[in-house]
Amino acid sequence: MIVALIFSIMFSLAVGIAAARNRRAEAIIIPLLDVLQSIPILGFFPFVILGIADVIPGPAGTDLAVIFLIFTSMSWNICFGVYEAVKSIPQDYIDLSFMSNTGTLQRVVSLYIPASLSRIAYNTQISWAVGLFYLISSEVITTATSGTLPVRGIGVDIFTYGIQHDSTAYYSCLGLLVVAVVIWQFIFLREFSLWAEKYRFGDVPQGGHKDWLMRRYSWISERSLSKLFLIRPGKGVTAFTSSLSRYRRGLKYALLILFLVFLAFLVATEANLMRTSHHSFNLSAVLSAAPADEAFILVGLAYSFVRIWYVYFICVLVALPVGILIALHEKAYNTLIPVIETIASVPSTALLPALVPFTMIAGSYAGELTAAMVIFLGMVWYILFNVMAGIRTLPGDLFELKRSLKVTAAQAWRNIYLPAVATAFVTGSITAVGAAWNTLIVAEFFGSKGQAPLTQVGQGIGKIIVIATDGCLTNGQPNALYAANPTLCGMITANNGAGDGLVLTLAVLSMTVLVVAFNLIVWRRVYHFVTKRYAYNR
Amino acid sequence: MASGFPSLGRDVVNRAVATQAGTGQTDSVAPPPSGLAQTNPSPVIDVEHVSLSYKMDKADFPVLVDVSVTAYRNEFLMITGPSGCGKSTLLRIIAGLTKPTGGEVKFLGTPITEPRTDIAMIFQNFVLLPWKTSIDNVMFGLSSRQDLSEDRKKEIAENALEQVGLEGFEHVYPGELSGGMKQRVGIARALALEPKVLLMDEPFSSLDDLTAERLRKEIYSLLINPESPIQTVIMISHNVEEIVELADRAVVLSARPGRVVADLPIDLPRPRSRKAEEFQDWVDKLYSFLA
Repeated sequence: MIVALIFSIMFSLAVGIAAARNRRAEAIIIPLLDVLQSIPILGFFPFVILGIADVIPGPAGTDLAVIFLIFTSMSWNICFGVYEAVKSIPQDYIDLSFMSNTGTLQRVVSLYIPASLSRIAYNTQISWAVGLFYLISSEVITTATSGTLPVRGIGVDIFTYGIQHDSTAYYSCLGLLVVAVVIWQFIFLREFSLWAEKYRFGDVPQGGHKDWLMRRYSWISERSLSKLFLIRPGKGVTAFTSSLSRYRRGLKYALLILFLVFLAFLVATEANLMRTSHHSFNLSAVLSAAPADEAFILVGLAYSFVRIWYVYFICVLVALPVGILIALHEKAYNTLIPVIETIASVPSTALLPALVPFTMIAGSYAGELTAAMVIFLGMVWYILFNVMAGIRTLPGDLFELKRSLKVTAAQAWRNIYLPAVATAFVTGSITAVGAAWNTLIVAEFFGSKGQAPLTQVGQGIGKIIVIATDGCLTNGQPNALYAANPTLCGMITANNGAGDGLVLTLAVLSMTVLVVAFNLIVWRRVYHFVTKRYAYNR
Repeated sequence: MASGFPSLGRDVVNRAVATQAGTGQTDSVAPPPSGLAQTNPSPVIDVEHVSLSYKMDKADFPVLVDVSVTAYRNEFLMITGPSGCGKSTLLRIIAGLTKPTGGEVKFLGTPITEPRTDIAMIFQNFVLLPWKTSIDNVMFGLSSRQDLSEDRKKEIAENALEQVGLEGFEHVYPGELSGGMKQRVGIARALALEPKVLLMDEPFSSLDDLTAERLRKEIYSLLINPESPIQTVIMISHNVEEIVELADRAVVLSARPGRVVADLPIDLPRPRSRKAEEFQDWVDKLYSFLA
């Protein structure tokens, strides 16, 4: 994890600074990062593993793959942070550094890096949690797909014990994870961000007008894990919504499409590495993929899409009112925040094995229920924390107005609270849904290579992806996995035996296209509308 | 002089003659002067020995100490003092938004324990809901009037906006309004409830000088209007010239913790001109208390 973090920071600094200082670089890098940020990372993980594992076999290879994945997940966030920070350095400071005749390296060290530090620290907290999620998930997937275990990892342990139904071991691992997260947060991350605070430009923004009262509680509310979830939805979304000349916007879209095509080629090449048979992969094979192949992929995609949205709906029903209620009451907020944060910091995929015994009661719907719960637990925090932040950043005199006009509670909710959290809610939703896609890949199908799964849903793109990576045959013979999913496996193994690169490519590609297209078409418009109408600027 | 705030100034002058207010005595609860049975000024807001302290880290942090002020009918009272002296806090106690730790405030004899719709507040930062148009914001001010129909509320809101000169701007969002216009919406919202007491917390300090001056004159003429239900106005200000221009009486608080340091009836005849020598004298006098 730490290795990945260090690489992330170095990478982000390089890219972020370049993007902020060079307009041409900016035009290319920012849309690129936005796309990269919205692509469900776990979808590409199988390729990464197999690609790297081919080059560097054994546990070292898988370790590297995991690190790379975590690096990927962490970087974009930190990168955007650096970009934002460097862009907002007051021009005076930049002029000063040029006048002082410093060389580029010196400038980087003395100006850009300190300027970015507080953002990096802040985003590191977020990225850490994100990285942790991917750590667990990737360790799970690695074990599942390649059969090779990374050398050490709590994700591995959780997975193994979970699969083996070894409750005590599993729960103790889980507990250890939670404890580790909390301790790490307080010892390192908190100190890091406190240290970086001194590098801020201008005033360090503090709480509200009750600052001196809150100082006692500030160590909870200010340096808290809740910051993990207060993500602005990829500066990329705002970058996309910024008013640009038509030409610039066209360029962005063109780049986007180009990038997707390039990605497709990349993916296809990787898939090629997986093929054991003589089946050579070429573009015409992809293009002439039999309708049968496409159909079940799209069906799976549709199921997953619907799944995400009904879970989202439940999340909103829960998180929106609860978030507002908690945020309105100071005492409740201060007591509950540490509790909520601790629960939220545990990656939901780690909890999956724990849920399975309980969901058995749902009978044939158990798999669906488990998946729904895991996705819910992955999504809800984003909405909850953002909504709470939305309320807490409201100016105090708004509440005074409400009381002085004798506004009833119902009127207050309709006219004040709900509109006020609108922007924060959308922000949280965008991130939540993005997280959901990633969670889905693990939640829909959880099992060891070649064995019957611990839990699985009826239909879903995540499931297709994992099965297509695993393959349903062991030594050419249908295995337990095949037995659990005869129809699906039948379709997947139609082309070859060990795992279907074509299906995998198509599945991942179609998911990516859906996610990115949805971001562009829906989220961008919604975000734009909401910030215009409902943003509270004094 | 028009009625409504009918004898603005006259009562005060008489009181000044009868008592010794104006020489900086701290006895600010001036008894109604004898021998003036016709224009016996009745107290509207009685602040009686109000104190407020915050508990912080086991120590008491006093903000206001033993403040007593009375605001009479048809009177424009200004409260002022150096930064941090507790003026805003005092106003919020009068508004019923904050509970004092000692003493109480009475409105026409009844103690104020919570906000009342007949005591309206205008805020320094306007506090308009950004997602509602001007007219919706004013109608929001009428939320407590469950007895009114939507149409009636709309009518009242339209009238209020007309009164503050915003006719034609009903369907504009606050984001599209200038500072002065936003404050007018705030004023309209306050007036829509037909309050008896108007509280204003530095209403013009967020505006540029020209707009502020214009609004001062406008709000004054609104209050002078015989149809205005407003009986008393209490305003907080930092601006000495503004105080001398508008106030019938100025109460000065000391630096934290706030105590009443002066209760000065300003006996200048109206209309008041900034260029007049007496005006400047009053300004100097006030400065001497604030310095």
